Amino acid sequence: MGRFLGSRGARKFMRNRLAMASLGVIGVYFLTAIFVFVGGISMDATKQRVLPKHVPGFLESSSLDQRVEAASHYLNEVDLACRLAERRDEDPYGILVEKHLAERIPARLTPDEYNDLLDEAFGILEEELDGVDDLNHRPELEPRVQRLEQIAETLYPVPAGWDGFKYKLRTFLGSDAAGQSISVRAVYSIKVAFQIGLVTSIISVLIGSLLGAAAAFFGGWVDHVITWIFSTLSSIPYLVLLSVLIVVFFGTIFDNPDRPFLSLVPVYVAFCSTFWIGPCRVIRGETMKIKELEYVQAATAIGFGRMYLLIRHIIPNTAHLMFINFSLLFIGAIKSEVILSFLGLGVKGQPSWGIMIRDAKDEVASYFFWQIGAATFLMFVLVLAFNIFTDALQDAFDPKHVD
Amino acid sequence: MSLLQVRNLVKHFPVRGGVLNRIVGHVHAVNDVSFDVSKGETLGIVGESGCGKSTLGKMLIRLIEPTSGSIHYEGKDITSLSHSDLMPFRRTMQIIFQDPYSSLNPRLTVRSLLKEAIAFHGIVPRAEMDDYITELIRRVGLRRDAADKFPHEFSGGQRQRIGIARALVTKPEFIVADEPVSALDVSIQAQVLNLLMDLKDEFGLTLVFISHDLKVIQHFCDRVMVMYLGHAVETLPCLDLDEQVQHAYSKALLGANPIDDPDQRRPLTILQGDVPSPFHMPAGCPFTGRCPDVVDRCRAEMPPIIERGDGHRIACWVANEEAAQPAAPAKSIG
Repeated sequence: MGRFLGSRGARKFMRNRLAMASLGVIGVYFLTAIFVFVGGISMDATKQRVLPKHVPGFLESSSLDQRVEAASHYLNEVDLACRLAERRDEDPYGILVEKHLAERIPARLTPDEYNDLLDEAFGILEEELDGVDDLNHRPELEPRVQRLEQIAETLYPVPAGWDGFKYKLRTFLGSDAAGQSISVRAVYSIKVAFQIGLVTSIISVLIGSLLGAAAAFFGGWVDHVITWIFSTLSSIPYLVLLSVLIVVFFGTIFDNPDRPFLSLVPVYVAFCSTFWIGPCRVIRGETMKIKELEYVQAATAIGFGRMYLLIRHIIPNTAHLMFINFSLLFIGAIKSEVILSFLGLGVKGQPSWGIMIRDAKDEVASYFFWQIGAATFLMFVLVLAFNIFTDALQDAFDPKHVD
Repeated sequence: MSLLQVRNLVKHFPVRGGVLNRIVGHVHAVNDVSFDVSKGETLGIVGESGCGKSTLGKMLIRLIEPTSGSIHYEGKDITSLSHSDLMPFRRTMQIIFQDPYSSLNPRLTVRSLLKEAIAFHGIVPRAEMDDYITELIRRVGLRRDAADKFPHEFSGGQRQRIGIARALVTKPEFIVADEPVSALDVSIQAQVLNLLMDLKDEFGLTLVFISHDLKVIQHFCDRVMVMYLGHAVETLPCLDLDEQVQHAYSKALLGANPIDDPDQRRPLTILQGDVPSPFHMPAGCPFTGRCPDVVDRCRAEMPPIIERGDGHRIACWVANEEAAQPAAPAKSIG
């Protein structure tokens, strides 16, 4: 490692400020992914209701309509609980605590207090706001709506302290159609993206480099077979191939949304079996060049066997290309995952940016951009950082590149 | 008895083309070359770029497989030995390359480079390995701390010294030096040549020294073989090269060398025309198109190699006919 950091390419890379910044961004993403992976955000947290549906995020103030709708959500919850409690002759609080929205736990009041507050609220709703067609153009009704929100908050107080902070984090990007937190889902998706990106790019680069190096080094029928396989595979349109490979797994144990780790296997298989082509082609070319170099001939003259030459003298000298290909494939995997998930073929049973974008397609028509915005923004920053990183890597380690 | 006997060595590289990628012809890199190298001798091989001298050198140590012909080393035919049978010869036959930049693996330190060869052939016991490497590095004129550096930390001349150390590490008896100084500055050339000379005496090496510079060969070798388009056109001792040289091409090569005395001039023959393509070899002598002394017979027939005594062998119709007429005065130059 010290040798690597001291090398000319590594020093050149470290002088590039933009590259170091992108490395920092990637680092933050990576740490977040690790944090999620070790259980910092549980899968349940992504599916929990935290808000009424389609609450906008921090920048946008809700219209009166939306505010009434949001407040009504809390009122209805309490109303339902009270009626149920009456029928069963229980304490309504016992029923209500089961229906908390994340950190927002209902206030502990007596049934009479609940009923008084509800009566007042429904009074406002039915007598003053009901039948008003265009609430957004009636600012004089604002105080009534505020009172309604006050009641909702008395019933469901916003927590203070650490819980309050967590609640803010969960809600600052709003909620989706099921009332799930957009911020939690978007951040959880970083883990899914890294999982798919790392697994597929590492496996593909390893397979591709070994096959490419072997093809070029041994030549003859080995080269013919490997070249034939990758030209055949690359002649099939990429998305079709991916879809077919995933459809093959339908109906098997890998097609089960309740086991999110297993359900990623088809994605891994599909990506690995198409992604190795790129590194294979590049490493094959590089190996063809290197195997004619004099240091390989010198090693032959010493008497080393061909496998030894390949592993000790040739493959290590293609390492810079492996790095670059790894980084390219990583972005490729994340982008492809989004496309596949959008088509309903990719990730199952856990959130991912692709699934968020798919879920958002109906919201966008009604000007609700928070979900698609959060997913694409996080993806955009990561892909941009990786592109800058790859570019800098290429510049730094390309011996033909002059400053 | 000679250490190395080469008989009728031929290398044709197939050229593929057309839709079906069939062999459409051959590049005649080395054509019917025979020579001997005796123990302790240094044979120089000289010729212009593309004349097949490097191909010949690499064939001698089986880096390139010959198309036909035979190579005997210490009386044993090594032309078609298998990888494992070749192993003892791999240790005794080594090569020094021209380009000090591409001849060292950029990812191996000098020590690991030398170590893998020592371990592979079991040259010295593991415990003595570091001492052996230190001694070898000192011997080729590098500092002791060079052992743990990477090739890119050295200059061209230093890298060539590492290349020499790599060739010597297996304690070889025979070394092919493939233009070892052509890529170096003139001042460094002299240092590396002197180093090679010292090492040759010290290790009792037999050398085949390939170069395009007749001056260097004259300085360094016992005998010189002039190659033109894959043919060995003239072989003669270096000692009185200037007087003895007969072949028109050898004369031209010699004439291209400046003499380090401003009052003396060699008759300079500037060759006209181009080297014929090794893909379409001419029927007669390959030098026909550019030879100032060409006669009709040259175009029709390939001249045989005639032994002239004193180890002087030449393939030229004109020179051979002159020699056959004792009345004719010996041609001399210089």
